[in-house]
Amino acid sequence: MRLPALVLFASALCARASTYYVTVAGLGGEPDYEQRFAAAARDLDKVFKAGGVGAHVVTLSGPQATAARLKQAMAEIAKTAVPTDDLVLTLIGHGSFDGAEYRFNMVGPDLTAAELAGLCDRISARRQLVVDTTSASGGAVAAFQRPGRAVISATKSGTEKNATVFARYWVEALQDSAADTDKSDSVSAMEAYTYASKKTAAFYDSQKRIATEHAVFSDAGRGEPVRDAGNGQGALMATFTVLRLGNQQTANDPARRDLLAKKEALEQKIDVLKYGKAAMDPAVYKRQLTSTLVELATVQEEMDK
Amino acid sequence: MIRLAYIAVVLQLGVAVAHGAAAERDAVPADCWAARKHGHAAEAQQCFNALTRSVDAYARAEGFWGLEDWQKANEQFRLATQPADSKPLYRVRWGTLLHERFNNKEAADLFQEALAKDPSSAQAYLGLAVLSADGFDSRANEYATKSAELDPRLADTHELLAKLALENDNRPSALDEADKAIAMENDAMGAMAVHAAIELIEDRPLDAWLAKIASINPAYGPAYADIAHYLELHYRFEDSVVWYRKATAADARLWSAHSLLGIALMREGKEDEPLRELELSYNNGYRDPATVNSLRLLDSYKNFETVTDSTTIVKLGKGEADLLRPYIHAEMLTILVTYEKKYGIRLPLPVQVEVYPNHEDFAVRTLGMPGLGALGVTFGEVVAMDSPSGRKPGDFNWGATLWHEMSHVFIITATHQRVPRWFTEGMAVHEEGERSAEWSGRVTPDVLIAIRDKKLLPILRLDRGFVFPEYPQQVLVSYFQAGTLCDFVKVKWGEAKLMQMVHSYAASKSTAEVVQGDLGVAPEEFDRQYLAWIEGKYGAEAAGFDAWRAVLKTLAAAAKATQLDEVLRQGPAVQAMYPEYVGDANAYELVADAARAKGDATVETKSLLTYEHEGGEQPEVLKRLATLQQAAGNNAEAAATLARVNYIYPVQDEALHRTLGGLLMTQKDYAGAVREYTAAIACAPLDKAGANLSLAQAYLAAGQRDKAEEYVLAALETAPGYRPAQKLLLQLQRALPTPN
Repeated sequence: MRLPALVLFASALCARASTYYVTVAGLGGEPDYEQRFAAAARDLDKVFKAGGVGAHVVTLSGPQATAARLKQAMAEIAKTAVPTDDLVLTLIGHGSFDGAEYRFNMVGPDLTAAELAGLCDRISARRQLVVDTTSASGGAVAAFQRPGRAVISATKSGTEKNATVFARYWVEALQDSAADTDKSDSVSAMEAYTYASKKTAAFYDSQKRIATEHAVFSDAGRGEPVRDAGNGQGALMATFTVLRLGNQQTANDPARRDLLAKKEALEQKIDVLKYGKAAMDPAVYKRQLTSTLVELATVQEEMDK
Repeated sequence: MIRLAYIAVVLQLGVAVAHGAAAERDAVPADCWAARKHGHAAEAQQCFNALTRSVDAYARAEGFWGLEDWQKANEQFRLATQPADSKPLYRVRWGTLLHERFNNKEAADLFQEALAKDPSSAQAYLGLAVLSADGFDSRANEYATKSAELDPRLADTHELLAKLALENDNRPSALDEADKAIAMENDAMGAMAVHAAIELIEDRPLDAWLAKIASINPAYGPAYADIAHYLELHYRFEDSVVWYRKATAADARLWSAHSLLGIALMREGKEDEPLRELELSYNNGYRDPATVNSLRLLDSYKNFETVTDSTTIVKLGKGEADLLRPYIHAEMLTILVTYEKKYGIRLPLPVQVEVYPNHEDFAVRTLGMPGLGALGVTFGEVVAMDSPSGRKPGDFNWGATLWHEMSHVFIITATHQRVPRWFTEGMAVHEEGERSAEWSGRVTPDVLIAIRDKKLLPILRLDRGFVFPEYPQQVLVSYFQAGTLCDFVKVKWGEAKLMQMVHSYAASKSTAEVVQGDLGVAPEEFDRQYLAWIEGKYGAEAAGFDAWRAVLKTLAAAAKATQLDEVLRQGPAVQAMYPEYVGDANAYELVADAARAKGDATVETKSLLTYEHEGGEQPEVLKRLATLQQAAGNNAEAAATLARVNYIYPVQDEALHRTLGGLLMTQKDYAGAVREYTAAIACAPLDKAGANLSLAQAYLAAGQRDKAEEYVLAALETAPGYRPAQKLLLQLQRALPTPN
């Protein structure tokens, strides 16, 4: 996801911040679901651990996926996480919603959305992402909403109660470099959400089945969850890096500061050009875009030397 | 479609209006209908008006019906049938009214109620026959025959039997039944229309029959509409338009004919005039499903894009036009070149191919036509077909369907629309197999069972397997039989004989004459030889069908129980018993799964390769094979496998095009890579930058630097910091040599 230049710069300065990943594969109920949920959690565990030194990964599945173990893990994180850190909580499995309260089905007692939100609240990481991929997960969004926290749910409401496939494509988004649509060597929450929700829709379409899940998100801390960015929703998701795919350039190298500044300026110029595209003569637009892109590529080439 | 509105229905009513003026006292429904049938409009109107003033609810119902006040007629029928001792005929007539007003379900209920009251009601059986005939249901003949048995003097039944026979192209029987009807009633104009249509179909003058009809009622539109209908069923689509026009010219208020004219014009690819005709019909209360759905379809055309060149017109849904057009257009050009050479003709007009993303829209195009019409349908030079996106992946091969339907275009043109159904369907199936042996695989379990149970039809009766199937799978079996009949002719007499048969049909010869004249054998002998050939090819499989089913079940159970060695041991034998079976739970996939679980990629690949060559078309299975082939370094084979998937489900699968594009790049097929990467972009990929870069690289490899620059800029416009694209841009700007 393309970031405004300033945000990108600030993000680069904070590159040493940690990300805490907590993934829970809840109770499957049947062997097929048990295996599917555990496999998804296992895959996430693998991709998160490959994220490098800043990644702290906790994955609970099978008999470990109890409320007590999750509370314990979250409490441990609460002790060490600082405000500049990020938290990613992923829930995989079955959920239920009785019209008032969402429950995440776990081994032993379930946890309600309010209880889960309470666990997250105790962690000081200012930027948090909750990905609830379960059935009826739309019923959990309101309880999770808080400024600085993005919430993604596999279903638009608590009444979409069928088992979901969203988790499959969320995992795939973090494994497929195609999800990195702005080629920034990282996958943002918005990129992964877009990837997973489109693939989920395509799945139902190709199977000629009526879609029984419609993923939504909310990252403004309040209001109805939405399917697409806009009207104040989407800003946090766009800047929330879920996964880094390669080595990130940092601004801590003094020798490259000038080039980086020049690069930022060129990127801003490109943004301005694209913004004004509709009002420009196509030939002029193409000429200016080409020359700016060539300049940017040349700067990048210099930086890569 | 023949409706009952003008069928006189020998009511034997004898229901006089008991009170009122003298003229009214004699009013009898049958007389009113007869007056209308004979074109005495004012007299009929007066008569029906008189009926509405009757004290008898049934008579009033007939009166309101005649005045086209359907609601009141319905109410009066309800009253008339309330008494426990009401006549069964009232229910038959009420059912007939409901059928005329497009409510076949309740009409059927009323006919059944009439039969419950009077099991020997010939009229009720006739009503059921008419309903069944509407849907080309084989019970139509059964009901009509029963009706004739119960009342041999019911002329309407013989008219219907004549219609059914002609729809089945059983012309002698059609003439015989028509003559019976005329002998019973000298104003049986429906029967006369059957005679006239046969004269027309057999290229003889029909003036005498038209004169007979005109002498009874020169404005009797239904007769012309009937003729048009019979012509449609004999592929005479242009001629049918002419006759529907005659129907509406004779009776401008014959709204059903306006609707049918509109639909017939749509089949010619027209839009404006059909819209006028269908709206005219609709606005005058004729709102049957075909009219309503056709109007909806016309309205949906705003969601289509049409691209025309000198030989083709391609109409595609806007959402998938960019993706599908290159494939479909290229295939059409290949087909045109192939068939023009083969059949030695050039089509007089561009061929129009309409591809419907919504299966229901496509289904509207087949309304009122017999047979499956499940995949595609051809009307002269217009082909309508499903889009792959309208079906589940693996259900449908658009390439095979296009070759099939385009064969119809050529055969119908080459024979001047004088071709029996079995031959044009047979040639179409044959051509699919000629294009690709994998596309000829129609030996389904239903076909094997039909072979085993000796259900294949004699060649002279094969058309009937398409129109009024006697068992549910007979249409599919008939496709198989027709296709293999043509295969057999090619094998025994050579391809040239098939062309000779085309010419013979063009000369209006019958199948019996064609078989005898062109192949030099009597039809019965031909059947004998064909069945012996089929027995040689499939006899063992057919005989062992039950045994195969049992061992496949055992194999599937072993697979479920993860008895991998057992599956690998038994699998090949199960495959050998019925190699063409590639449906659900086929032995190829079971063996491949077991081999994968054992880590044996060689056996897995071999099994899936055989699946592919036997015509297996599940995209996920083929993509799995391609992955194995690619992993083994067989990029050319992997590309060929994925190219097959393009004919099955090229939509909603950007990864397919991206992977195939990459494979074609390794094969230095840069034009192919450009096509595939272009398709990937048309799939609206999430990774637009990556897709544009791949296309730029393919263009560069193909030597098209300007296009390469266009697409690398598109990649960078999406992702300005995309380093591989930046490198390519600099490479292009610095005019570095093209890497190979």
